[in-house]
Amino acid sequence: MAEQIPTKIWVMRPKASATQIRIRPGDLVDDVRDEILRKYGNSLGKTFDSPDLTLRIQVGEETQNNQRSRTLGPEEDMVKTLNAYYPSGQTVKDALVIEIPRTSTTPKPSPRVPLPHSGSASAAYYGGDDGRPSETGEGYFPPVGGNTSSPRLAMSVPAQANGAMPHSMTVINSGHLPPIPPLPSPGGNRPRGHRDRDQRHDRQDYSRTGRTHTPSPNLHNGGGSGAGGGGGSSAIPNSASSTAANAHGATHYRSRHSHSRTHSSSSEHIVTHSGAMAKSPGHEMTSSARMGTPPPQRLSSPRLPSSRPKKSKRSSQQQQQQQEYHHTPSPSILTATVPPINVLIVEDNPINLKLLEAFVKRLKVRWSTAMNGRDAVKKWRNGGFHLVLMDIQLPGMNGLEATREIRRLERINNIGVFSTAPTGIPETTQAEELTEQDRLEGIGQFKSPVIIVALTASSLQSDRHEALASGCNDFLTKPVNFVWLERKVMEWGCMQALIDFEGWRKWKDLSAKAEAIEAATQRAKAQAYKNKTKKNRPIMSAS
Amino acid sequence: MALPDDKELESIFGDAIDLTTFKQILEMDEPGDNEFSSSIVFGFFEQAEETFESMDTALSDKDLEKLSELGHFLKGSSATLGLIKVRDGCEKIQRYGKQENLDGSPEPDAAVCLERVKEALTAVKSDYEEVETGLRKFYKEDEDE
Repeated sequence: MAEQIPTKIWVMRPKASATQIRIRPGDLVDDVRDEILRKYGNSLGKTFDSPDLTLRIQVGEETQNNQRSRTLGPEEDMVKTLNAYYPSGQTVKDALVIEIPRTSTTPKPSPRVPLPHSGSASAAYYGGDDGRPSETGEGYFPPVGGNTSSPRLAMSVPAQANGAMPHSMTVINSGHLPPIPPLPSPGGNRPRGHRDRDQRHDRQDYSRTGRTHTPSPNLHNGGGSGAGGGGGSSAIPNSASSTAANAHGATHYRSRHSHSRTHSSSSEHIVTHSGAMAKSPGHEMTSSARMGTPPPQRLSSPRLPSSRPKKSKRSSQQQQQQQEYHHTPSPSILTATVPPINVLIVEDNPINLKLLEAFVKRLKVRWSTAMNGRDAVKKWRNGGFHLVLMDIQLPGMNGLEATREIRRLERINNIGVFSTAPTGIPETTQAEELTEQDRLEGIGQFKSPVIIVALTASSLQSDRHEALASGCNDFLTKPVNFVWLERKVMEWGCMQALIDFEGWRKWKDLSAKAEAIEAATQRAKAQAYKNKTKKNRPIMSAS
Repeated sequence: MALPDDKELESIFGDAIDLTTFKQILEMDEPGDNEFSSSIVFGFFEQAEETFESMDTALSDKDLEKLSELGHFLKGSSATLGLIKVRDGCEKIQRYGKQENLDGSPEPDAAVCLERVKEALTAVKSDYEEVETGLRKFYKEDEDE
């Protein structure tokens, strides 16, 4: 175990049960935040980075809103501060309150929009103080069990998670091991508080390490709210923790007005946002898949800015939507950093094509278009593409045929994995000779097999299988959901950028140069314009 | 223009439009104008009207294959816009054109299929007109704002 003598301090989330975390003498508040994220691996760790958190120290009795409190700066020495406030030692009721920024963590208003007004039952549900939906990015899931009391029940979940103390302590003490976030066991609502408290002092209690195999957390370090956390596959295990987080959203309500905005610096907001961004799409989809289940309004919850005044629901909703709308372009997920890949869009319907083009334009990636399979193969042969968005039903050569053709050409030209893995396709390697007409020019342009994402109109499983069998890597169902599309572009794009790192770097250098030149030209133009306007009257307003 | 709330959209479009999908397009607009989404929507009007004309021609030519193709084509864009009624109508035309019943089972009688396409086409045209009126109104009102 650790060489240094650790100290334990109490922390809690608003209105939730307090828990202890271990710190070492000399740890700063900043270090404490890291520990908190490990401790609250599910409810906070997946969504927030440690700079997002603020710690508030309470002075005096907790009497509703009257208590005095102070937010701790990240650079403060934790032990010293606590000693100063609590000379006789920090007790449970002195637990530091963990706060998370509210507004900024609201995930980007996603294309999955709130459903039309829902029944009054769910409205009432949201109207209640305790039933407030989480607005911090975790509220994607309908309440487990769907009853209105679930947030209350769920409140016990973080406490339980904290109950896995012996385990977490081991991790923390060893310093460098990746923390294994304790997962609240779904449905485990029995009150275990006392037992846990007792066990807290029993460090040898490994009885619960069995939990670690629970198939949830894809976070690897304390602040693991990055891209890795967004896997749609984690949707089910996540639901438990997100409910827990919901509870937090609810319980946090009281202190929100006084603290949420003021205590986080703007840089923290940015960090938070990116965290939430990466997370949102998958979860969003999960909830949209459940669209049929009441209360439908649940879907809308992640979109609601937390600054919502509680008065008239109708008008405030309108306000929000306006806000959201105007917010959309700036903190949009569409502005997330997508690797500068080159995408080929194959789509025969001009309307759909236009929309897809507009979409990839926003992602700031290069793209080309093709309107039929043959054209797609031709364009692909020019090289340099990382990703193909391939409509399946195309006139003439359809998307599957085009995909097969691309794969065939890749194979006989020995591009990427096919050159070293002939065993997987024994019957073709010998049969096919590379003919002149199949030879790809500029073979250096083909670093790896292109990623082909099929766009299928039907959600039939058989169609998907057929697409994958033809050599597509992935598929999306039309109408394409932009959140999903972005995720695909991001995922596959990142992979391709890694494979073709050299090419990517070259391109980056080039584009940086191009930008510099562009900027210089702009400046020159602006200068020229200025000079001109001194002589002539300006016709246009200055740009 | 502010993003209209669901109630407003619903009152205009009823269940003819899948709001989730449609609003996804509205969200592509820059704040303050709806140039992009309206260009998509009005582009669709053009496309739909052309396609209906082609369908009429194909119908009089008894060209089921062509009808199916056209049905598929318009299905794609109407689905993208969330115009579910039009989309469903187009899917019917696509299926009947392929000489299939709606459940995918084959329908050998071409005359029956043609008759069904005819019916479906009439229905989809009227669904289209309805949603077109709604959309035009929607964009008109936004201009006035």
